[in-house]
Amino acid sequence: MSAPLIQCPACQAWLLEGVFNQPQLSPCPACGVPLQVEVFPALFRRINPGQSGEIIMVDGESSCFYHPQKRAVLPCQGCGRFLCALCDCELNGQHFCPACLETGKTKGKIKSLENRRTLYDSIALSLAVYPLLIFYFTLVTAPVALFVAIRYWNAPRSIIRRTRIRYIVAIVLASMQIAGWGFLFVALATHRF
Amino acid sequence: MPENEYQRLTRARSRTTFISRSSLWLGKDHLLCVDSSGYTETYKRFYFRDIQAVILMASKRRAIWNWVLGPLTAILLVLLLGSLPYTGSTGPNSNLGEIVFFAFLGFVFAVPLLINNLLGPSCVCHLRTAVQTEELSSLNRLRRARKLLNRIRPLIAAAQGELSPGEIPARLRAAVGSADGTTMTPAVSAAPPPDANHPDAPPVIT
Repeated sequence: MSAPLIQCPACQAWLLEGVFNQPQLSPCPACGVPLQVEVFPALFRRINPGQSGEIIMVDGESSCFYHPQKRAVLPCQGCGRFLCALCDCELNGQHFCPACLETGKTKGKIKSLENRRTLYDSIALSLAVYPLLIFYFTLVTAPVALFVAIRYWNAPRSIIRRTRIRYIVAIVLASMQIAGWGFLFVALATHRF
Repeated sequence: MPENEYQRLTRARSRTTFISRSSLWLGKDHLLCVDSSGYTETYKRFYFRDIQAVILMASKRRAIWNWVLGPLTAILLVLLLGSLPYTGSTGPNSNLGEIVFFAFLGFVFAVPLLINNLLGPSCVCHLRTAVQTEELSSLNRLRRARKLLNRIRPLIAAAQGELSPGEIPARLRAAVGSADGTTMTPAVSAAPPPDANHPDAPPVIT
């Protein structure tokens, strides 16, 4: 794709300018499907080609950590290493080296790169609630639910609003199930059942 | 960005796979699309400065549901009317069970039918950036999609600037005309990978 053209989602035909930024639905010139296309200035923004970095011409100049023969233009804001224009990765106004960018994504250090989270509170709650349908399973699942709730109490929850209520309900339910099983075993052991 | 700084824009709705549910949230400088399977969440951020276009396409979803639910509701209504006692009859009502059964089933189908029509025309919403075109499955009604568009339009304008209607054709022609010479969007290169010892070789992450 070399031009800022937009395709019809239904027939993949290139849309004409008459369809853009209309207040109501307009038919696609090719297939007639009603469309409303709102375009913004970013569609026409020119993307500059990446820089390869300048070669060091004078001795004593700071060089890139990854390319010793190239002039450093700025330090990485993650590790402080000097970077050339080629190694400089800009993210929301911050500059990182590729290694820090990779580490930030895999370890969740850069929030805006985090794209996945596990919801341990939902797992704990499911382990505490669903096995109640077949009560015998709770002998195994209740301790597991309690372990998950306590182990991951401080783990990052959903990125959107979410309280610890699922953990609390899971702990209460799992504790009651464990107490119930404990009472049953004690009663059986002492022949008072 | 600190956590809990998102405002809900749409409630979670099933994607086409029915396994995950998708919802849309408004952040300080981006839209956040959350796909949740119940135990994991996947996040996609669309920064206002990068949004190139929002495309709404009318869909037949509402009509299809009307064709599924309408006849069923109508049949149950006819059966319900048929099971009602005649006007003026004085005997005991022996059809009470049937009446309750058909009324319940009719209710089960009539309520979704009513909601389907109250929500208005259905649509499919796509959001385009320089690198992807993403379907926003939580925006499946035209009214809701337009409401959201009206809400984010000023935010996008604040990040990118305004685009007057008369400006679009000129910019489009200019862009198409210059597309041969300069790169407007990142082009996929079919060139072989560079030599690791070349001065322009990208850094190797160890």
